[in-house]
Amino acid sequence: MSGIGAWLQERIPIRGAQLQELTNEPVPNHLKRWWFALGGTPAYLFVVQIVTGILLAFYYQPSAKTAFESVRYITEEATFGWYLRSLHKWAATLMIAAVILHQMRVYFTAAYQRPRELNWVIGMSLLMCTLLTGFTGYSLVFEQLSFWGATVAANISDAAPVIGRFAKEMLLAGDSYNDRTLSRFYILHAAVLPTTIIILVAIHIAFIRLHGVTELQFEDEPEDKPRHFNFFPDHILTELIMGLVLMILLSALATIFPATMGPKADPLTTPEVIKPEWFFYVSFRWLKLFSLTFAVLSTGFIVAAMFLWPWIDRVLRKLTGNEDISVYIGIVATFLLIGLTVWEAAVAH
Amino acid sequence: MHDDSSTDTPNPEPALPPASETSENRRGFMEHAAGFAMAGGLLAGYGAFACHSVRYLYPVEVGKSIWQFVCTLDQLAVGESIPFTMPSGAKVVVARQAEGDTADAFVALSSVCPHLGCKVHWEAVNDRFFCPCHNGAFDATGAPTEGPPAAANQYLTRFELAVENNLLMINVPTEAIVVSQSEATS
Repeated sequence: MSGIGAWLQERIPIRGAQLQELTNEPVPNHLKRWWFALGGTPAYLFVVQIVTGILLAFYYQPSAKTAFESVRYITEEATFGWYLRSLHKWAATLMIAAVILHQMRVYFTAAYQRPRELNWVIGMSLLMCTLLTGFTGYSLVFEQLSFWGATVAANISDAAPVIGRFAKEMLLAGDSYNDRTLSRFYILHAAVLPTTIIILVAIHIAFIRLHGVTELQFEDEPEDKPRHFNFFPDHILTELIMGLVLMILLSALATIFPATMGPKADPLTTPEVIKPEWFFYVSFRWLKLFSLTFAVLSTGFIVAAMFLWPWIDRVLRKLTGNEDISVYIGIVATFLLIGLTVWEAAVAH
Repeated sequence: MHDDSSTDTPNPEPALPPASETSENRRGFMEHAAGFAMAGGLLAGYGAFACHSVRYLYPVEVGKSIWQFVCTLDQLAVGESIPFTMPSGAKVVVARQAEGDTADAFVALSSVCPHLGCKVHWEAVNDRFFCPCHNGAFDATGAPTEGPPAAANQYLTRFELAVENNLLMINVPTEAIVVSQSEATS
């Protein structure tokens, strides 16, 4: 045994204690509360997505002629295919929900303020990548709703000024959905976006390590207790518990509500009732309420404002003299977000 | 405090930098120039590669259309219409609105909603074309009556028509999507 240990030690000249010293950092006590550990949740789910995604890719065939049939094969014939596809679908749903919740936590605790502005921008980029991955993944199923969802989304980008037409043509590989479109969605979904996410997550974590986690002191915490605990093993164990709970939750959801197949895409007929995935209900309702140009420009403006919020927040605090101005804006925005989502979910048109 | 500098002694002539300093400056300049040249070369090389990549990804077939035969002029009387099937398989209704041997006497409405590209369908009960995506509606002539198309005054697109040697021709996009093997072979 010691022979193997010595052999390894010679080739990998670092000791466990050194490794612990290198990776360890003091974690503020408030991270023992699970809702402050929501950043690790999407990271964990992302790993689930990579594993299940690779497994699904063994059978998936990205072309208009074969895509739907290959998803049907995975769902109905491949052993445990239904389970893996359902895990992939539910992990995507939970990942988007977790990213949104994580962002809301960061927003409402003002953790984006100086000097962490850039990490907020990285986080926003991660949110955009996550939504795009969700959209492209949904399109791969090639059923009626996902086909028409992709058509509508591409035409939305067409309405954006200057680069809109170019973006649409690059996304669809032409003026409209054609035989070369699906492979673009596939390569974006399975290679380009995941790689981008991995790079952004690495920078995100590096920034957290460099700045440390924002310190928060809660009123019910005694002053004399230590204010930090160890990253390793204490925080890792918290994350492990969350990982276990997530795996149970995912398994339960996948079994009770497995992913199903809708009707196959028909480029000649738009279905009577058309809906995107739930996380785009807001923008879908927004598009019904306003003219296309206004809807697209206002959405672009809102997203740009979200990216720049750390700086907008500073200006707003100076102008109003109210330290909590962003919190009030956030509460209104959250109600608007929930309201529009529920509205779109509740009605057919 | 006693100031013993400039007041008592005249300013010395500015001395030339020693030879070693000049050569160091020269070396520094050369190093910077070489650095910029290398960075510029790399940037140009990778930049050109990026441009080629974007050009490669940009679709070749954008905007391609084809003129196709619809019918001879005497096959379509005023007030009548005939269906025409595009390369994509979509049906277009071509109607004759007036007498005359020019293309202006005919109309061919696209079934693609100008709002966001969904397919409209004819609702006989409401006497309108309806788009289920965002509740857009158009009258029989393709004029918008409800929803986002009405707000933005977007008409149903009319395909370009032409008359040549008594033949009615239509200009339609060639881009199509083949969704199943049987359709591809049929």
